[in-house]
Amino acid sequence: MSSINLDMSAPDGIIALLKYLLSSGKVSAVLVPRRNPDTGAYDIGLIADEAGLDSAAPVDPVMLANTGQILSSLTPAKRSLAVVLKPCELRAFVERVKREQGSLENVLTISYTCGGVFPLEKVIEESFADVIPNYLKRVASGEIVDGTRDTCRACEHFVPMNADVTISIAADAGSIAGCRIYLNTDRARELVGGLEGKQSDDEIDPAVTLKLAAKRKVEKEKLFNSLAPTGDGLDGVIEVFGKCVGCHGCGRVCPICYCLLCDFESRSFDYDLPYFEKELSGKGALRLPPDTIFFHLGRMTHMSFSCVGCGLCSDVCPVGIPVASMFKKVGEHTAALFDYVAGRDVEEKLPVMVYKEEEFSELG
Amino acid sequence: MDKGFTPRITALLCQWCSYTGADLAGTSRLQYPTSIIAMKVMCSSRVDPVLLLKAYLSGSGGVLLAGCHPGDCHYEVGNYHTRRRFAILKAIFDTLGLESARLKLSWISASEGPKFAQVANEYTDEIKKMGENPSKKKMFL
Amino acid sequence: MQGASLKVVDGIKSVVRDFLRKALESEAADAVLVPVRTPAKDSYAWILTNDQAVLDEAGPLAPTMPVQGAKALKSLTRKGQGTARVIAVMRPCEVRAAVELSKLNQVHLDNIILLSYDCTGAVPLQDYVGDPAGSEERFDSMLEARKTEESAVKPVCGICVDFSLVDSDIHLGLIGLAGESALLIPNSEKGAALLEAMGIACEEDTSGWMQAVSGLKAEREDKRSKALAETGASLQGFDGLHAAFADCVGCHNCQSACPICYCRQCYFDSEVARRDPAALLDTAIARGGIAFPGDRVMFHTGRMAHMSLSCVSCGQCSDACPVSIPVADIFSYMADLTQATFEYAAGRDDGEPLPLRQYREDEVEKVHEIVKGAEEEEVAHE
Repeated sequence: MSSINLDMSAPDGIIALLKYLLSSGKVSAVLVPRRNPDTGAYDIGLIADEAGLDSAAPVDPVMLANTGQILSSLTPAKRSLAVVLKPCELRAFVERVKREQGSLENVLTISYTCGGVFPLEKVIEESFADVIPNYLKRVASGEIVDGTRDTCRACEHFVPMNADVTISIAADAGSIAGCRIYLNTDRARELVGGLEGKQSDDEIDPAVTLKLAAKRKVEKEKLFNSLAPTGDGLDGVIEVFGKCVGCHGCGRVCPICYCLLCDFESRSFDYDLPYFEKELSGKGALRLPPDTIFFHLGRMTHMSFSCVGCGLCSDVCPVGIPVASMFKKVGEHTAALFDYVAGRDVEEKLPVMVYKEEEFSELG
Repeated sequence: MDKGFTPRITALLCQWCSYTGADLAGTSRLQYPTSIIAMKVMCSSRVDPVLLLKAYLSGSGGVLLAGCHPGDCHYEVGNYHTRRRFAILKAIFDTLGLESARLKLSWISASEGPKFAQVANEYTDEIKKMGENPSKKKMFL
Repeated sequence: MQGASLKVVDGIKSVVRDFLRKALESEAADAVLVPVRTPAKDSYAWILTNDQAVLDEAGPLAPTMPVQGAKALKSLTRKGQGTARVIAVMRPCEVRAAVELSKLNQVHLDNIILLSYDCTGAVPLQDYVGDPAGSEERFDSMLEARKTEESAVKPVCGICVDFSLVDSDIHLGLIGLAGESALLIPNSEKGAALLEAMGIACEEDTSGWMQAVSGLKAEREDKRSKALAETGASLQGFDGLHAAFADCVGCHNCQSACPICYCRQCYFDSEVARRDPAALLDTAIARGGIAFPGDRVMFHTGRMAHMSLSCVSCGQCSDACPVSIPVADIFSYMADLTQATFEYAAGRDDGEPLPLRQYREDEVEKVHEIVKGAEEEEVAHE
């Protein structure tokens, strides 16, 4: 048995699954996005009571914070937890585990084929809930939904890479009326196997997901090309990042940037007046605070190969810099050096932690 | 070639091999240009690539990082890590259309005084051809 | 108080540019710190320069405030003094923040000459980056008319009472003066010395300008107390606070954009504020559930406790918020209350010590009265 089918919509099916896990005592709490039915505000709930799941909105196209980052603060888990997270959030968590910022022990990961999310500025609109039914329909029919974030539209990794449980949503027309729950691991079969439903040996049909992946790839090329004319050369980099206000919100919400005190906020890059006077005499003009471009390129150096393209950095940027698109573009190149895919496999070592004796011979 | 332009090249040299190699070049009276501003580091892997980036954005004509030959690292494997990190920085430069030729990694052993002089000369020529680092004149960095 | 009369021929910005140019030429100053438009023309950045050509490009009175000027000064002088004399052209709220930061030892003002002006308010950052050309136009017409258009500026600017002379070294008076004139007013020994070195005589009467400023100030005070009372009313109780920050994503942009929050590592981002995973789970089980991002009310009220005494109501926190929480309105409301408790006003006077750096033995009674008063007010609201 590798899948269970339920006669209800995919979101309802996930809630039923979570209720089963809680009521049967298989997990002591579940981590899942919720929507306050009165105010429409979202949060991510760590829920221990079945009743608390009534407001769960497990697949709403919203990313308030990276659930992978939140999960980090809950692990190592002494008691078992189930967590519903998007494929990129799961990948982010895996990257964090590699950095000893979390543990998969006692965690049942539930993910789904993701249709992408809307920008935060859209999510806080009062009428946001109205877009969801139509969104789910279009996602089920394998479309890229208008208005979802650039990085989501260009995301090829919408099929969870190593979730214990996968729910089929994107590019699955059946997901409106039926919920297909795929059990990928022994842990999933042990904890979820008892859920009542139609059992089968189905697996996600790669033909369908590949079709959507191809569409997304086209979007990605378009996105990267649209960055090219401005993102080219030092002037291009200044054009893109020049309006940065230095709030470093992008780094703070980044699930990969786990440092409590970022290098670029540390004393390492504080300068004294003689430094500025020297700069001034050389250039005649300099920016204050300094190191605007340095921060972004430096952050790329530190984390781009682990970038999962979750898009939060763009979401929180107060001046609308396409941070996520730039980091995703660069990240694909830095990861490709090592045939690395962020979050693909928790056993795969971070590329900066290992080496091969025979590689990059052209560099020395 | 612009004869009036003397580039500044920030050179970070591992103390076990490349810095000693530079010393040897000096004591052997091999000529190499004054453009090289040498700094001694414990190991090439001790250099966070953001420091190379900082040197570039501060207007260094070129940034040279040199260490022991792969396999000969005083700390056994440090320079293998250096190589990976350097590859990352170079890929970032290439993706953004920045001049990655302004970054150079070189393996120079303690006995390779002539190689140090050669690298210094050739790299200086290359940077001279490239001209000033554009960062030098940008105020919005 | 006397000032020097300046003739406005080609707009107010060029009056300031001319003044700065002369200051550099006469070597009365070594450099200036001014906002300059970014190459993409989509924002402004603080530029320290001694280059006349750069100065020509400067928008010394910028429509928007991407980075609080006091933060730019902090990055320049945090590590101490230099010898270069720098004129910094800043809004009154930026000057006040710089004064607060100097009390906190994060800015050293000895060689800095703060030049401020009658401020018509700043365009919200998101509005500016959304429509730079339109924002430029709107701001210019406000500036030249010397009149704030509330719909074009940040909410806190519309209710700002410190829009004019603050603890700067030199002030440019504009309000209530005829279209072709402006007043350059020395406001400190340093400022007076600079004007003298530049050969600018200050013999003009300023009473007309002062009268216009106090008239507008009275109007604003009224507006401010009404607006903040409204904000306060919406905040009552835990539910009120919780609702105000319900959309918060925990990015802490408000804190990093705040000129007063100078800590390199915010307490709320530190290891100390982290909770044990097991304790979090226990809490969730005991309560049935907990919400993430966690500690949102804790963060915002905690930040109020840490910095509201020095809050200058500059509105940078609201500008930086990705989910449009009116952080600045809330913090301004709180700041007015906490500052009033100690009869303190942030940035009013660099000689005034920070309230938490001192105490009076007989003040407990008074603080008690103030708290009681606030409680009564709260009851009256309900």
